[in-house]
Amino acid sequence: MNKAKPMMSNRTLTLQVNGQPQTLEVPSGQILLETLREALDLVGARNSCGIGMCGTCTVLVDGMAISSCLTLTAQVEGKHITTIEGLSQNGQLHPVQQAYIDHGAFQCAYCTPGLILSTVALLNEHVNPDDATVREYLAGNLCRCGSYVNILNAVRACHTIND
Amino acid sequence: MNYELLQPDSLSGAMEALAQHGDEAKVLAGGTAVVLMLQQKLIAPTVLVSIGRVPDLDHIRTEPDGLHIGPLTILRDMERSSVIQRRFPLLAQACGEVGNVRIRNQATLGGNLAEADYASDPPTALLALGAQVTATSVRGARTIPLEDFLVGFYTTDLEPDELITDIFIPASTPGSRMTYLKYKSRSSEDRPCTGVAAIAAFGAKTCTDLRVAVGAACEVPQRLPAVESLARGQALTDELIGEIAAGYADSIETLEDIRGSARYRTQMIRVHVYRALEELRNGHR
Amino acid sequence: MAIGKSVPMLDSVARVTGTVPYASNLKLPDMLVGKVFRSSVPHARTIKLDVSAAEQLPGVVAIVTAADFAGDDTPNLHFGSTIQDQPVVAGDRIRFIGEPVALIAAESVVIADQAMDLIELEYEEIPAIFDAEEALLPGAPVLHEAFPDNLLGHSKLRRGDIEAGFAAADEIFEEVFSSPVAQQASLETQVAAARWKDGKLTVWTGSQSPYTVRRVLSAIFDLDVEDVRVIVPPLGGGFGGKGNIRTQPMAAALAWKVGDRPVKLVMTRAEEFLTVTKHAAKIIVKSGVKLDGTFTARKVTIYWNAGAYASSSAHLVPAGMLRALGPYRIPAGHVDSYGIYTNLPIAAAYRGAMSSQGVFAHESHMDTIAHRLGIDPLELRIKNLLRTDDIFATGERLHDIHFVECLEAAADGLGWHEPLQRENGTVKKRGRGVAVMMKNTIANSSSECRIKLDAEGRVTLYTSTVETGQGGHTAMAQIAAEALGVPIEALTVIGPDTAETPPDAQTASSRSTHMMGNAVLNGAASLRQHLAEAAAPILEWSPEDLSVADGYVFVTTQPQERIPYAEVLGRKNIAALTATGKYWTNEGKLDPETGQGISTPDWHQGAGACEVEVDTQTGKVTVLRYHSASFAGRVVNPTLAGLQNDGNVIFGLGASLLEEVAIDGGQITNPNLSDYMLPSFLDIPVELKNVSLEAEGSTFQGIGEMTLPPVAPAIANAIYDAVGARIRDLPLTAEKVLRVIHEQGEADDEQ
Repeated sequence: MNKAKPMMSNRTLTLQVNGQPQTLEVPSGQILLETLREALDLVGARNSCGIGMCGTCTVLVDGMAISSCLTLTAQVEGKHITTIEGLSQNGQLHPVQQAYIDHGAFQCAYCTPGLILSTVALLNEHVNPDDATVREYLAGNLCRCGSYVNILNAVRACHTIND
Repeated sequence: MNYELLQPDSLSGAMEALAQHGDEAKVLAGGTAVVLMLQQKLIAPTVLVSIGRVPDLDHIRTEPDGLHIGPLTILRDMERSSVIQRRFPLLAQACGEVGNVRIRNQATLGGNLAEADYASDPPTALLALGAQVTATSVRGARTIPLEDFLVGFYTTDLEPDELITDIFIPASTPGSRMTYLKYKSRSSEDRPCTGVAAIAAFGAKTCTDLRVAVGAACEVPQRLPAVESLARGQALTDELIGEIAAGYADSIETLEDIRGSARYRTQMIRVHVYRALEELRNGHR
Repeated sequence: MAIGKSVPMLDSVARVTGTVPYASNLKLPDMLVGKVFRSSVPHARTIKLDVSAAEQLPGVVAIVTAADFAGDDTPNLHFGSTIQDQPVVAGDRIRFIGEPVALIAAESVVIADQAMDLIELEYEEIPAIFDAEEALLPGAPVLHEAFPDNLLGHSKLRRGDIEAGFAAADEIFEEVFSSPVAQQASLETQVAAARWKDGKLTVWTGSQSPYTVRRVLSAIFDLDVEDVRVIVPPLGGGFGGKGNIRTQPMAAALAWKVGDRPVKLVMTRAEEFLTVTKHAAKIIVKSGVKLDGTFTARKVTIYWNAGAYASSSAHLVPAGMLRALGPYRIPAGHVDSYGIYTNLPIAAAYRGAMSSQGVFAHESHMDTIAHRLGIDPLELRIKNLLRTDDIFATGERLHDIHFVECLEAAADGLGWHEPLQRENGTVKKRGRGVAVMMKNTIANSSSECRIKLDAEGRVTLYTSTVETGQGGHTAMAQIAAEALGVPIEALTVIGPDTAETPPDAQTASSRSTHMMGNAVLNGAASLRQHLAEAAAPILEWSPEDLSVADGYVFVTTQPQERIPYAEVLGRKNIAALTATGKYWTNEGKLDPETGQGISTPDWHQGAGACEVEVDTQTGKVTVLRYHSASFAGRVVNPTLAGLQNDGNVIFGLGASLLEEVAIDGGQITNPNLSDYMLPSFLDIPVELKNVSLEAEGSTFQGIGEMTLPPVAPAIANAIYDAVGARIRDLPLTAEKVLRVIHEQGEADDEQ
């Protein structure tokens, strides 16, 4: 059996993932999505379109939503990365996660972690977003099952909680 | 995917890396274009020079002659910058139209210009604003008007060893009105079918200066000074606006892609140049 | 009562915390990566395929080509659920661009990609054919020698004297419609992983058809069906695209060649477009009508472009026939539904399969007729819609028919009879449209389940219903909980896993709530019987005198004499009670020459009504308001039902306005989600409402598709209402609308 070596040089780097420092050795051209899924087993970020259009790979970097499929892991060295796995604390769901359940805001849920993280970023930026702002902000996260109406209801409920 | 990743932490380091590797190298800024192209195997550089650690390249600085923007300024900061919103609202609009929130959180203005994607919004707005690009290498710096910088389809005037270090926008005539109209023929998430940027200065009753740039419908954004000059000293009547819109529609060689045929693009240029000028005249912003 | 409640999906916490175990997350020890080397020409004879250099590459473990199927003891190259025309990998013949030619198992994606570059393929191109109608012409290139006219199926419906019907008409209307190739675009792409051990095969896959996969894999590898195990975790979307057989044979063949290590094959987004598409169709509708709006005859001809291999088309073409006439009283009806091979990627089910294309045609056609006759489009439909006890074109008597209620619910929701402000002094104009649909479901099929009650009072439901995101497992748990009288929290649902969960035809055609739902009811009834029998000696009454409900077995005449389920098992020292439930339909056997017979156990019914705004200078259409209605019989879970209705409308908006796979010389030129666009949050109507209609005495009906097919014609009709432009080819792009507005204007100028 042949064990091949990666063709690219590896590099060791430290990421802050969900509040924990993670020191990893990754191929220097590896994308963040792959590092999260393969090296850290954080599979809530998902591959789908591969071009930043769909939002299933959304994670927060220093609180800002980005596409982990278009980010080299080396680019976020030292930065704070939040994945869906880091949202709930001590087994307690984040209010946004709970609102998504309460309003039936998902179907197959492949898009859901990305949408929830985008919602968190939205609510960090806007205290009381109106519907138009919510639609605009979340338009880059596609839901092929078409749960948008319930998602809007969930987000409305979240900013009611914030009031 | 067999390339070396360099992450210089100074401008001189980045210059030297580019000088050394030349056209074997590709500059990585935000990554939304370059990482996509790497993943899809559309490019195969041997060296990737990431400039993310180079300090002071993400400024938005007001100076007497105009606004200086660092190439690493992300589009989201452009969109939300109060100084850009106040002084060059069409640029905030155009940057806010790109992709989605995530893309705008990553993509940089310098990267956007260096990619020279015809189906993008900021270059059209910057062309109307008379922007200039400063390119720097170990050989020195040069300033290039945007119309000379954008050479063609995904092609710029940048030499392989050059890096964009500044984007300059000269101050507009006080009281100018400006707008950017992105027309999407399909989804809200689409790239532009056409983009129209228009800036007008007005005297008591007449237009004293007009600049109109059209993009996304053609290989590079275009201004037509001869058509623009029709407005100078004139009241922007419906007839005159129609004449200018027709001038743009008739003169620009349009392209065809999945967002529309060349013929449709021509029709859309006419419609949206008209709408942009109508909006400026009616003074809605 | 668990039925009728908006119970959150059972695994809701996993869904919001990112821990749903999709097949794409699967990691097995020593697992290899699979990759597909594909053809770059649409039609060719293979001259030479050389994989030796790729095989030598360190890290490449195995390469599968057609040569691996050439011996006596090798697997069978060709497979198919109905027609065995599809090779696992192309042999001496290539039939579409992107067809798998060689398969690679490697230690990593990077290595597999490098191996791809080392494969050499020599071929001789032969003429290709891409248009379905042209493929039927004499002299057209032939794809399969067994089908010399490229016709894989022709379904015929013949009812009444069609010529007499047209002769009796005051007016004849004939229109031609078309619907393009589209892609299901589940956000999770196709995944299959396979492992061989001791001559037995296990496959993990995102599939809507686990038992079809088992049957077909056992045929490829000459195994007993029991020696193939198919495990299906929750899917990241299916929409028909994950039905039938997709990538599973390739994964199984790779693992077979490798021998002792599992192989996982995940399609890239671009490969997804090469794996399965929606049938392009051309539909010709001709109707004979009296001036009062009564129909005398209708003839429909549909050409379905099936692509290079039959796949599920063989059974979808008859379904397309049944759905083509529309739900109307028409004394004479003829349909010809042709399934045709071309050199394009395989076409198969796409949510609303074989309905959307025909519904777009007949519902646009209804408005053409209404406008010509000066009858309100809603009135024309209501006048002619089928009612319960009417005879359909198949000769079958209809039951539980609610087309009028569905249509009126949608139209009333929109405010059809309220005045509409069509213009507001700008270049934008508004209009409204309605549409209605009918479809049969998969008939002559069965569903089975097993229900286990343990001594702790927990209930486990074993079902092969696939959790595609529709909430199928939650709905089944609700039905079981109510039928057994236990709280929903007591339920666990397991499956599909062909080693553990009983057979089910597939999760498709909106059949599960009805078919598996009734199987669960039957299983629960059987389990209650077992409970009564077990409790009889304890209560000292005979089982016939006992009732089972609300967690207790009790004496029917003396309800205070009762014993909890768990205690029954405890005192009898039974670890668990198990019962099976089955439900099946024998319909669907139609006369092949006339289509006469009973086609379906139930008719699926839905409608939609919308208001659009058209920018008359750009042609851009904005759907401002959309109201949909489906007939649900009895709603199991209102929230999940609403998600199906809304989800259908949004899916339909994509197909109506945005989605078209662009093809140039057989090459797909937009296989990505930037050039092939899906509806976003901003593309949906600001007012989007739905209703699921119930009827006393009705059972659960499927609602997975019913509000989708009306979307395109409702929008097309609203566009016509707004600007007088009739668009007959989907999608309804801005450019097409503007072109027709301009043509209309020129025509008006000439008059």
